[in-house]
Amino acid sequence: MKTREVISTGNDLAALAAVDAGCKFFGGYPITPSSEVMHTISDLLPQRGGYAIQMEDEIAGICATIGAAMSGVRALTATSGPGVSLKAENLGLAQMAEVPMVLVNVMRGGPSTGLPTRVSQGDIRQARNPSHGDYRSITLCAGNLAECYTEVVRAFNIADRFMQPVIVLTDETLGHMHGKAIIPTQEEVEKGVVPRKTFDGNPEEYRPYGVGEDEPAVLNPMFKGYRYHFTGLHHDAKGFPTEEIETCRKLIQRLEDKVMNYAEEIEYNEEFMLDDFNGEEGEVLIIAYGSVSLAAKEAIRHLRKDGVKAGLFRPITLWPSPAKRIRHFTDMVKNVLCVELNIRQYTEEVERVSGRLDLEGLYKVNGRPISPFEIVEKVKEVF
Amino acid sequence: MSVVTAPKDTAVWVDEERCKACDVCVSVCPAGVLAMRPEPSSTLGAMITIIAPQDCIGCYDCELHCPDFAIFVADRKEYKFSKIKEEAKKRAELIKKNNYRLPDGV
Amino acid sequence: MAFNYDKYLRLEKMPTLWCWGCGDGVILKALIRAIDKMGWSKDDVCIVSGIGCSGRTSSYVDFNTVHTTHGRTVAYATGIKMANPDKHVICVAGDGDALAIGGNHTIHGARRNIDINFIVINNFIYGLTNSQTSPTTPQGMWTVSQKVGNIDPTFDACKLAIASGASFVGRETVLDPKKIEKLFINGFKHKGFSFFDIMSNCHVNLGRKNQMANAMENLDWIDQMTIPKTKYEKLSDEEKLNKFPTGILKQDESAREYCDMYQDVIDAHQGKRKKITQDEFKKKI
Repeated sequence: MKTREVISTGNDLAALAAVDAGCKFFGGYPITPSSEVMHTISDLLPQRGGYAIQMEDEIAGICATIGAAMSGVRALTATSGPGVSLKAENLGLAQMAEVPMVLVNVMRGGPSTGLPTRVSQGDIRQARNPSHGDYRSITLCAGNLAECYTEVVRAFNIADRFMQPVIVLTDETLGHMHGKAIIPTQEEVEKGVVPRKTFDGNPEEYRPYGVGEDEPAVLNPMFKGYRYHFTGLHHDAKGFPTEEIETCRKLIQRLEDKVMNYAEEIEYNEEFMLDDFNGEEGEVLIIAYGSVSLAAKEAIRHLRKDGVKAGLFRPITLWPSPAKRIRHFTDMVKNVLCVELNIRQYTEEVERVSGRLDLEGLYKVNGRPISPFEIVEKVKEVF
Repeated sequence: MSVVTAPKDTAVWVDEERCKACDVCVSVCPAGVLAMRPEPSSTLGAMITIIAPQDCIGCYDCELHCPDFAIFVADRKEYKFSKIKEEAKKRAELIKKNNYRLPDGV
Repeated sequence: MAFNYDKYLRLEKMPTLWCWGCGDGVILKALIRAIDKMGWSKDDVCIVSGIGCSGRTSSYVDFNTVHTTHGRTVAYATGIKMANPDKHVICVAGDGDALAIGGNHTIHGARRNIDINFIVINNFIYGLTNSQTSPTTPQGMWTVSQKVGNIDPTFDACKLAIASGASFVGRETVLDPKKIEKLFINGFKHKGFSFFDIMSNCHVNLGRKNQMANAMENLDWIDQMTIPKTKYEKLSDEEKLNKFPTGILKQDESAREYCDMYQDVIDAHQGKRKKITQDEFKKKI
């Protein structure tokens, strides 16, 4: 793959990734620490003939984004935790009506207004279920500058494949980190674009939601002769509201199965210094994601120097969680340390999939990043 | 599908499948052309009936005011409508006073 | 041959779920006739609706249709319109939708003057959820949430739209479907944010406990509080207080439309024009 070297920030890279992936519309609202995504994309989009608009509030930001996406274009919104809270209802509509779009959440301290200018990973649980009802969130989590770019690109392709919103989590540290990143060239990204499926038969026979039991809807762009209906209500094959018992059951089951039956397509992890793990005494498995994983890697290098056989498992796709892979390591390794900038938000998922309740944890919720030495100390203290 | 093309020599006609018996068309008809009849199978127990098509003046008020796409009036070019008659006006008033039904003996 | 509404209807969705005599159907018919007169292709029209009885409008007509969340019609429509500036976007919302939960979007859609046609079906009550007070419910009326009489001051939707910067604002009532159709056509022809306050009846949920339990009684009540704009202007200030003028209340053809202005942004970014300056927006008479 052809790459390029750039000096940039996480937020700028997220904006660049979107336009390189063919995004034509951005609807947003200012919120720290994600605003720079809007600042940058409001230059990039018009340069390339697209549209960026600062809406009147967070809700309007996602509504306009979903509207543009419904009409058939790739669309992005970016925000932070309080913004996701406001956007939640309409994320639910995009899940229900199967509208592909991407939401970048640059996480800051919560709950409520929290610590606007400080880092946190407090939105992990929120990303899993931002809105009410049954559906499966797809959430990707960038762990370094380059991934602020590549994960946004991947998110657009996943959104069009699965026909639903995809959340990309970054955080204040990554969003404002300024440094070198090696990212694919624009041509490479364009080559990798897989547009959403369309139906090109007789419009009379078009059934946007009349798909297989675990398949995503096939939504044609608007204004092209295939007139159909979007709704947040339970709907039939043509998209019209219905309360018919079997149709309702099948719809919600399909929203579940279209993701969960194909979760391995989305699964993406980094396994750092785990090659030599074999279950012997003294191995330390660290589970971390996002910007924390940078500190974890540094800690592991130190621990290895000190003779501790440590390694990192880093989920990049957080939801659906990589259950089998987590279980593979938690079955093999006795000493497991979860490191998060929240209180046990992903640890609980690791507990659920591993069935283990003896996981150690290092949690920080004061708005400051975790340093490698805190992790080193914690490992030495508990194992 | 409703009958959009006028049946021959017909001023006004109704799709009973669509009519919800709201009385609005009877209320707006100035010429007593329309009235409700008892209809046990209808949700509100009534159904629209065209009682005096020959008096229809082609004002289209019934069609324009029908919320349910249920009543249709012929095109002015295709049908020669009546002029408004005193007798028709009186009948319209009597129908409205009689809960939108044609009073006995009118 | 009568007007062929069926051409624009999703016939399998008939009958509508609206109550007998509901003004929503009358407004829908006027909308269909107006679109027909505009000569727009069904493929080029997008109808966006919100939540409430009016929200069902979109599912009955054979256009590109979107049934959104409560109050968000204009926000969704903004995305659709910006990404497709040459298409026709029409929003249909209720008074609760447009003026309460979605008030902010109404204000800012109007302020931007984006070319969206916004039809507010104003029946003075939350109908679908059974008679709660809406921003337009007259003070003193019974509602299920204020059973001894509503004390909440009421909203004049058109004044809000005018103050917010909508470049076309008009009001009509279900009493005269022909006038609604005409107002729609005038608004549709206008480039910019067109706001329509269409006063409608809800004899079932507003009327039944306010002494107007059938459609005509409810419409008569609307009739006595509305007056054509030309007559309204001749009223004394006191007489004006309890009346709503009908007709075209504002039409400003000089106001620039948002998608048009955004083209300047695109051109400036692509080096096809200079940066946009304050001078370009100096108000002139």
